[in-house]
Amino acid sequence: MHFVVIGNGVAGITAALTLRERESAAKITLISGESDYFFSRTALMYAFMDRMTLRDLEPLERKSYDAQRIDRVRDRVTDIDASAKMITLQSGQTMQYDALLLATGSSPNQLNVPGVNAAKQGMVNFVTLQDLEQCEKHTRLGGNAVVVGGGLIGIELLECLVHHGMKVDFMVRDPWYWPAALNKEEAAMVTEHMRHHDVNVLLEESVVEIKSNNSGKVEAVIGSSGKRYDVELLGVAVGVHPSIEWLAATKTAPKVNRGILVDSAFRTSLPHVWAAGDCVELASTGLVEQIWYSAKRQGELAAKSILGDAIDYRPPIFYNSSKFFDIEFTTTGKLGAESFYHRVAGKEISIRVSWENSAVTGFNMLGSRWNHEFFERWITERRTPEYVMKHLLEAQFDGEFGTLPLNFNFQRGSK
Amino acid sequence: MIRQTTYDRFTHDITNRGISAWILSALLTGFYLALYFTEWFTPIAQSIGLDGKWTLYGLLYTIAIVGGGIFVIRRYRHNRYQVIRTCVVMFVQSVLAFALPQFLKAIHQPEYYFSYFWPLKLDYLTPNTIFHYPLPIILFSFAGSLLLVPIAGAFFGKRWYCSWVCGCGGLANTAGEPFRHLSNKSTAAWKFEKAAIYSVLAICIVLTALLFTTYAVGPKHPDLAAFTYKFQSFYGLIVGTMLSGVVGVGLYPIGGTRVWCRNFCPMAALLGMVQKIGRYRITVKKNMCISCGLCSKYCEMGIDVRSYAQSNESFTRASCVGCGLCAEVCPRGVLKLENVSNRAPQERLVQITL
Ligand SMILES: Cc1cc2nc3c(=O)[nH]c(=O)nc-3n(C[C@H](O)[C@H](O)[C@H](O)COP(=O)(O)OP(=O)(O)OC[C@H]3O[C@@H](n4cnc5c(N)ncnc54)[C@H](O)[C@@H]3O)c2cc1C
Ligand code: SF4
Repeated sequence: MHFVVIGNGVAGITAALTLRERESAAKITLISGESDYFFSRTALMYAFMDRMTLRDLEPLERKSYDAQRIDRVRDRVTDIDASAKMITLQSGQTMQYDALLLATGSSPNQLNVPGVNAAKQGMVNFVTLQDLEQCEKHTRLGGNAVVVGGGLIGIELLECLVHHGMKVDFMVRDPWYWPAALNKEEAAMVTEHMRHHDVNVLLEESVVEIKSNNSGKVEAVIGSSGKRYDVELLGVAVGVHPSIEWLAATKTAPKVNRGILVDSAFRTSLPHVWAAGDCVELASTGLVEQIWYSAKRQGELAAKSILGDAIDYRPPIFYNSSKFFDIEFTTTGKLGAESFYHRVAGKEISIRVSWENSAVTGFNMLGSRWNHEFFERWITERRTPEYVMKHLLEAQFDGEFGTLPLNFNFQRGSK
Repeated sequence: MIRQTTYDRFTHDITNRGISAWILSALLTGFYLALYFTEWFTPIAQSIGLDGKWTLYGLLYTIAIVGGGIFVIRRYRHNRYQVIRTCVVMFVQSVLAFALPQFLKAIHQPEYYFSYFWPLKLDYLTPNTIFHYPLPIILFSFAGSLLLVPIAGAFFGKRWYCSWVCGCGGLANTAGEPFRHLSNKSTAAWKFEKAAIYSVLAICIVLTALLFTTYAVGPKHPDLAAFTYKFQSFYGLIVGTMLSGVVGVGLYPIGGTRVWCRNFCPMAALLGMVQKIGRYRITVKKNMCISCGLCSKYCEMGIDVRSYAQSNESFTRASCVGCGLCAEVCPRGVLKLENVSNRAPQERLVQITL
């Protein structure tokens, strides 16, 4: 038996380890064009900020790959021939498989404005190790930078640049930061916090043109307001998309839409080929989950599907966490028609509990720690907001001596 | 305005095992060797009105803990566990481990350190030494070593001592803070730790037993007495002087701050065993870890916290001193230090705060 996994991100490595756990005799090959060993993409910013070395980003000891007999191949896969059960690598090498897992992750979106093709140097993304190298190359104490894109990767890149003493303009296209996830009040708090960290937050501003010098080094960007920003680094963090472009050139490509289409057992349209992680689109719902937790979960389930288990994947209630500079963020579920918002006086702490038709639907918590499992349970049990507010403290996860004082009276309609 | 950066430890030579780190390590080692084996510091101490080199050392040690403590409180001011813990550490060092013994000495009472217990301080249980103290101190010392240490350990974990009271841990968590990430995280280091620390504990217990036996039957068995006292001074030289002082602090810039605590301290070994069966644990929030590794990196005991967190395992490791830095640095709020009683931990939290 030969299992081949393309992509050594969290989906790929979780799958490989799950396969090994159950199939001690099989041959397992893990292929990546990016890195020799699995590393935590989520920690890219800590490597950039010198809080950790690149080596510290690797969750597994290097010798454990040998111990687990996972063969690593550092190359890009360029072709899939499903009828011959064979893949081809960029080096020209071919490889037979009995089961193939595509865990190719996602790639950063690029800007679509005049001047983007001429910009060869100084325009960076923040997704891969190679991106990190470029970021480091163009970061300079006291230099000017513009970051575009009002999501999570943008703010992480921002924090790194500020950390290294760059003067950063942060362009957010929308009327407030990250409207996809945050309400106006929370966004205002986060924006104030960013400004406190010397980030120049520009709302309703975006890049309309990029100016580079003759050698392709970015020199300036023009904003939609007409203003010119002189920069030596332009950070582009306008979202990611499933890495599927390379499939177009393959002999037998699996069906794709936004991502590689899979059924609820992570089977693609090709026989003996599965897919998991950021690169996947669930055919039944069109959902593309692009977070660490789903990639990890999908990797494990896809491996079990490969092993013959009956898998029927239903995405769990959405939850995620993040950190905006110093403000921690926990979110669960989705915001409903009504909500209760409370900002702790004088502190960068806020809670939002949301409901619809008397059943809670979602939570957005900033500045303090919460156990999302409680939130998930309350949402599943369709608890009333009154019940949830009464029991809210049970979900608190702040450290000893630091528990959030929740001294307010909750009444529906109070906000 | 360009802000001061706080965490870029890898860009600084001295906190990244660069040349200056080796020089600092050599200086610290040299200082300890000179302190233990020469009288160079005696005239310096006397010239500023102190009675000897050990008082001077105590003063310097206290300054390091208080100075480092202020720096730590500033850095982690948003975290009340860190602030309170550091205040306690500073208080214990400056009062119990410095001012009070000096005061006792000044009023011609025996110089006794209320923050040290057996087996870290062998003398505070063994009859040939402790029986020279007045009765209240003898009682305190026995109760402290045999009751307080294990009982508090069972309820709160070893942290109550190792990162709230102890001077060695105190220095590590204050002045030593910039070096905490240097601890070795490999499984090989963990193996060495287990072999080393339980060996020291075993030797320490054998020696204690010998000292009691000698006290009881020594006069009739001069050979045994001679052997025991030789053993004791050898233990003092190797464990007390070389491992806790010279190696323990000398290696800060190379091996991190807890080389002594992690590998050699008999008190840590004993408390670690109590901790394993006690209430203390690190609770892991399910499915929230992003495997970033900050927790492991900043664990001064070299525990691979990430390996537990990413597999959703709440855990208690014998070596964990409960400094709480893993929970502090975790960007996703995954970790929480807790003393888990029969009640659900979440209920307990509500009780404390409301
Ligand atoms: C800066 C940053 C911060 C993030 N922070 C968070 C966070 O805090 N929380 C969270 O939930 N999510 C976060 N994410 C998202 C999270 O990292 C991803 O969801 C997750 O890494 C996806 O894992 P994956 O295994 O599907 O793919 P990836 O990690 O993208 O791995 C895919 C691998 O496959 C390789 N590959 C692709 N095509 C080929 C080919 N043809 N041949 C060979 N190799 C190929 C790629 O080079 C890559 O190494 C963050 C992402 C970024 C970029
Ligand atoms: S610091 Fe937190 S998120 Fe990072 S590896 Fe440790 S537990 Fe996981």
